[in-house]
Amino acid sequence: MTPDISPQFDTSIPVIKIDGLTVHRGRYAAVENVSFELMPGTSSAIVGPNGSGKSTLVQAILDLIPRTTGSVQIFGRPIRKLGTLRHDIGYMPQNFIFDRSFPISVTELVQLGWVKTERGMSRNAAITQALQRVNAAHLRHQAIGTLSGGELKRVLLAYCLVVPRRLLILDEAFAEVDVQGEADFYTLLDELRREESWTVLQVSHDLEMVGRHCDQVLCLNRSLVCSGQPEAALSPQNLLQTYGPAFSRYHHHH
Amino acid sequence: MQDFLTLLHYPFMQRAIAAGVLMGLLCGFLGSFVALRQLSFFSHAVGHAALVGIAMGVLLQVEPTWTLLPFTLLFGVAVLYLIDQTDLWSDSILNIVLSGALAIGVILTSFIKGYRGNLMGVLFGDILAVNLTDIGLTFLLLVVSVSILLATLRQQILLTLNQAVAKVQGVSVQFHRYLFVVLLSLTVAVAIKAVGILLVNAFLVIPASTAKLLSHQFKPYLIGSVAIGAFSSVIGMIVSGSLNFPSGPSIVLVQFCLFLLVFGFTKLTAAWIKL
Repeated sequence: MTPDISPQFDTSIPVIKIDGLTVHRGRYAAVENVSFELMPGTSSAIVGPNGSGKSTLVQAILDLIPRTTGSVQIFGRPIRKLGTLRHDIGYMPQNFIFDRSFPISVTELVQLGWVKTERGMSRNAAITQALQRVNAAHLRHQAIGTLSGGELKRVLLAYCLVVPRRLLILDEAFAEVDVQGEADFYTLLDELRREESWTVLQVSHDLEMVGRHCDQVLCLNRSLVCSGQPEAALSPQNLLQTYGPAFSRYHHHH
Repeated sequence: MQDFLTLLHYPFMQRAIAAGVLMGLLCGFLGSFVALRQLSFFSHAVGHAALVGIAMGVLLQVEPTWTLLPFTLLFGVAVLYLIDQTDLWSDSILNIVLSGALAIGVILTSFIKGYRGNLMGVLFGDILAVNLTDIGLTFLLLVVSVSILLATLRQQILLTLNQAVAKVQGVSVQFHRYLFVVLLSLTVAVAIKAVGILLVNAFLVIPASTAKLLSHQFKPYLIGSVAIGAFSSVIGMIVSGSLNFPSGPSIVLVQFCLFLLVFGFTKLTAAWIKL
């Protein structure tokens, strides 16, 4: 395979670059003056208490809600100018499926993520491979309504994996997954990052998993309280500042 | 049945069956999306507002079809815009505009001089009165809707499932929402002459809901909705012709019976599996 030398695959360009981002929900500044960069192949987690603006930040990055000030660049471009590079982004929100009675099978759901690319596999091969990767090949004929919470999450991840991506954004993706399932997820994400240099950005509540699997932690409480490598960013003092005294008491006792 | 076979020789009956089948196909097809996008109250409101369009035609002394189509189209788009622009619940907005349009429609109707017997026709429709223009319009709308929605099926399903994900994947969510409302409003408008304001929604909602009971995969669901729509029209026309029942209500009655049958069937099989 010839190496890809087009400028958007340049590894020195940050996958996400955010500068002075402020987002209002009504009159309330839900995210204030946030700046950070994510380099290719890294895994980062946004942590913070409920209502700290984590989902708002993710939605503003993806241009799903308007931003008040600041700039967001993905793959070195403003998101509205991404064109077909959009297909390189996989996004898995917390409530992907609102209606579990929606008549759609696992295969049909994964197929929705597939787009024809020059280098890509055929559709059916891609769907089979994506489902195998998340250990869900045996579910392919099932309706989504019959899946357990953990199975549905795996299938949605297959939806994200069905074409090669460069950026995966997960918004509390593992909320309903059991401990083993979550560990498997992180192993798979590590693999994608190592082998295909995917960049992963996730909103997470599980500080232990974040500490073990992420290179960078962003502690958010409307503004960025701290950021950096997990050991440094998740220090008791930073946690106190991010989560407030109630959380740090909780954390010490358990 | 003999009566029905005799009736088949008449052009008006042939037109009625053609219109019924086309209507069943078109409404079954769009209805499958209407059910999943929870737009049934929307089409209900558009249907009632159509009274204004019809009354305008009568008052201006032009064929009501040509005032009805643009009016429902504008109404549908305006309502969607209103829903997007306010914080009110969409069913509140729909109730507001439905009531307002109905009031205007009834007042306009009171200006119509002389014979007003058509009002019953507007409420319940008369499939035996459809002409070739109506059939042509329905057919055109069917071809356009099927071409557009099938060509963009992946985007359509994605934006029905989750608009945010669809947007990230580059689907022009707003464009498709408005486009669908345009198709839906026009469909309601062309169906009204045949089945009337009160029953048009049955064509959009019942076949799709029946298909949803039967299938948990998208393609079979879509095909099922279309097939049930067309099948109900044929059986409904036979019932209507044989028993001398009004046509539109006969078709809706068949749709309703099919729904009950399928509902009972799925409950029975579920109970059977548990045994």
